[in-house]
Amino acid sequence: MAKKVVSIIKLAIPAGKANPAPPIGPALGQHGVNIMMFCKEYNARTADQVGLVVPVEISVFEDRSFTFILKTPPASVLIKKAAGIETGSGEPNRKKVGQITTAQLREIAQTKLPDLNANDVEAAMRIVAGTARNMGVTVAD
Amino acid sequence: MNQSWWEFQVTGEPSLEELLFWRLQTLGAQGTASQVIGQMVRLTVYVPHPQISEETLTQLAQQLQADALTLGYTSPTVGWQIIHEEDWAQSWKAFWHIQPVGKRLLICPEWQTPPPTDRLVLRLNPGSAFGTGEHATTQLCLLALEAQALTGTILADIGCGSGILSVAALLLGADQVYAVDTDPLAVDAAQAGRDLNGFTPKQMTVAQGSIEQLAQRLPQPVDGFCCNILAEVILRLIPQFHEITQPGSWGILSGLLAAQGAQIADVLQGYGWHVVQEQYLGDWCCLQIQRTDALSQAA
Repeated sequence: MAKKVVSIIKLAIPAGKANPAPPIGPALGQHGVNIMMFCKEYNARTADQVGLVVPVEISVFEDRSFTFILKTPPASVLIKKAAGIETGSGEPNRKKVGQITTAQLREIAQTKLPDLNANDVEAAMRIVAGTARNMGVTVAD
Repeated sequence: MNQSWWEFQVTGEPSLEELLFWRLQTLGAQGTASQVIGQMVRLTVYVPHPQISEETLTQLAQQLQADALTLGYTSPTVGWQIIHEEDWAQSWKAFWHIQPVGKRLLICPEWQTPPPTDRLVLRLNPGSAFGTGEHATTQLCLLALEAQALTGTILADIGCGSGILSVAALLLGADQVYAVDTDPLAVDAAQAGRDLNGFTPKQMTVAQGSIEQLAQRLPQPVDGFCCNILAEVILRLIPQFHEITQPGSWGILSGLLAAQGAQIADVLQGYGWHVVQEQYLGDWCCLQIQRTDALSQAA
């Protein structure tokens, strides 16, 4: 069909648990997007990833129909998983809460590369390392 | 009780998005929404208004700006406001209305009751595929379908989206429609649209794919086909149209900008297709074409 995209919205939401509450309702409702249909489709396609945040990029077309593609989980989610921690530090400069290796950092950067504003894995590693640092997670071998 | 929410928005460099996401999650929000605004990205979170104080938001804003400066980025712009809870599960429906198209069709959202009418009622749960009846390209196709003698015909719908054209063709008298789309979401939507309108899988076959899959599935060449896709895709498909048609078959091509019609017509002629009619609506153009015998002689 003749698809002309009028808006692209990205949502970072828990897999399998989409519902019309914020942020989904306000973000999609203002475009007249069929929210219940989106929730149903998203939940069906992320049912096997429950427990992770799975971002989704939604393209809204001129006739208010939509399609979406799933993206990679946020770096902070992958960092927490790699470091084996539940949450980051509220005071990252003073209180460190975990550690990941450079190999893990590279692996996360590799996973995230398609979705990051980075041209290569080294640039992606710098972005992920910045997030880790601000979560109180150190990178060391 | 009507709940209210803090809508907390941060606009900053795209490279900051991952970091912002982490910080915003500390508010306990269910998720974030982001949108690219020019060269920047705007992240929005919603948190229950009474539970989170404005002081907390002020501290978070300062933290976010400090984070950005530490990492060498421009300080993001931060703002917040209170919004009131809506019935978001229902409020999007206000955008959708019962819509007459052409002389014979009436598009009616699934949740609405059509008025008494002589028109053919096409039920639609608009959503996860293009083809809601709102767009000029869809309307041009529906008008072109109305103009065809469809009784007893076998048709194809290439790039079926929501399946609106297939359903309309069946309502207008076609015997069978073979619909394809490369997008699996569209395949699901078209099947749901077929069921909603009470047609059987035999009357409307929906499959994932393009002309190749149609050619494999069709028991015989079609009498006509619809193809509402963008011009560059149609240009790629034109050489394959003969695989599913026979001399005399017709086609409806939409999704073309008005300025692209002439180029498409030229290419079609080289493959044995003749433009019978052109129709325009807004910036868009629809071509009704017919396969001439010249191609079969050449073949």
